[in-house]
Amino acid sequence: MNWGATVRTIILCSVLIFLHYTLRPLLNWKASADFLIIALLLASVRVRPGVAALFGFVLGIASDSLALGAFGAGALAMTIIGFSWSRLKAVFFADHVLLNGFFLFLGKWAYEILMNLVDRRLSGAELVMQILVYSSLSAAVTAVAGVLALMLLRPVLETRAA
Amino acid sequence: MARATRFSSRIDVVIFGACVLLSLVATVLPAKLREPAASILRRSLVAPLLRLQQGAERWRAAYQSSEREELRRDTLALAAARVPTLETENERLRKVLGLASGMKWGFIPAEALSGRGRAEDFTVTLSAGSNAGVRERSLVVAPEGVVGLVQTVDPTMSLAILFAHPDFRVSAMSADGSAFGIVQPHVTSSSTTQEQAFMRSERYLLEMRGVPFRAALKAGAVVYSSGLGGIYPKGIPVGVVLGEIKTPESWARTYILRPAVNPAELSAVMILTPARAAAGLASVWADVGAVDSATRSIVIAGDSMARRSAALEAAARRAAIDSAARILRDSMGRDTARAEAAAPAPAIDPAVAAARARARRDSAVARARRDSIRRVQADTVSQPIPGTPPTPPPLTRR
Repeated sequence: MNWGATVRTIILCSVLIFLHYTLRPLLNWKASADFLIIALLLASVRVRPGVAALFGFVLGIASDSLALGAFGAGALAMTIIGFSWSRLKAVFFADHVLLNGFFLFLGKWAYEILMNLVDRRLSGAELVMQILVYSSLSAAVTAVAGVLALMLLRPVLETRAA
Repeated sequence: MARATRFSSRIDVVIFGACVLLSLVATVLPAKLREPAASILRRSLVAPLLRLQQGAERWRAAYQSSEREELRRDTLALAAARVPTLETENERLRKVLGLASGMKWGFIPAEALSGRGRAEDFTVTLSAGSNAGVRERSLVVAPEGVVGLVQTVDPTMSLAILFAHPDFRVSAMSADGSAFGIVQPHVTSSSTTQEQAFMRSERYLLEMRGVPFRAALKAGAVVYSSGLGGIYPKGIPVGVVLGEIKTPESWARTYILRPAVNPAELSAVMILTPARAAAGLASVWADVGAVDSATRSIVIAGDSMARRSAALEAAARRAAIDSAARILRDSMGRDTARAEAAAPAPAIDPAVAAARARARRDSAVARARRDSIRRVQADTVSQPIPGTPPTPPPLTRR
């Protein structure tokens, strides 16, 4: 990845992290978009898997520092998601909005599942309900927000050549 | 090349493994180690992000607060808009209470529900029926006077014709009993649309026909039911004379009356039982004004007591301030005399002078306010109620 692409990726991630800590509290929705996951997924396809894992770990541990009950759970989930998505970067080469949305949905849902499993606060029917209803709803909102962000930030984005 | 790729891939896996390991360690950290680690992160890496979030939360709180303020303002505006209506209703209910206490027995309170249809101009629906004791041809009255007559009775409601109904007739007389006549609706025929519109505005007026020529009524004279005819007992206000009109009946005078009751303001009414109507109502309407006036006086007295206690409190506060200012002035005067005996005249401290002037001004304003309150109360108590006979002096007067 050249310097220009690196700078663009940093700008993209900064904007999304900024949105996560400003737009999300402003909207205060029950199932709000997770801009950190969008930033991680979009960055993961532009960097090496090791860097993606490290980025995921940093994002996760930073968000975990505000939720002491699940300290480390978010870091673990984001590390796995970042590394996996960087390995699976080929699927993102198809520059199709709906496909990107679908993979954003999958990424957020996988993150939620991992978080819930590692966190171990819910179990049984509650866990199933959380994963099937609220997590999928949150993943859908995140996918929509991610697609919108992709469309708005298209001039900044440049997919890494294979 | 292949070796380099393999090497970098191995580095990726190592980094990934290290991150996973660190994450797992973080999840199983004991609480006393977890909190310091999280605290270091919160104070360093997350601190600027937290400040961003704090700002966003503040914006949201401000927006919600402004929305709440707007809602509160709207609620207050709505409440303020309802105040005149409530005052009118309160006044009216007070009058009904006065009428009820004057009649003492033999009446059924009801609510008048005015129809909006074209055919319902001269009728009114009453919220009491035969279950409550209403009978056909029962008299309907309001605190102001005659309303009409019950025509149809159902178990829970009844229908009454208003005084403006073409079939309405009542034998009436002047207050001093010098002039008698028959009061009926002022029905006029018209040929053009403009005239019809004009007549519509007069459709609630009444005519007093058959008044002998020797008995002249002045504008503003109150006309009461005379009790002749058997349906309407004597002494109920029917209307107020507006003026005389010319009619083909050259052997008697005809007067136009403004009805005592305004149909647009009709809400609470009383339906008289036949026994009560037969017993007579001569003194009831003379007492209604007195009871109403007494109620009003009690309300005013309560208000004036509250005002007086507030004035006393203010006077005590002012006296305390004056006393403090005097002590300050005296001590300053002593100090000045001791320090500067040769001075031609002691200079007054501007602060003390200002305090003195403020005290004088407050006292004058309070005196003026007290006088104005007394004037207003005196005016309010002695003000006559339009459309009612002269009232005796109220129970308390300040």
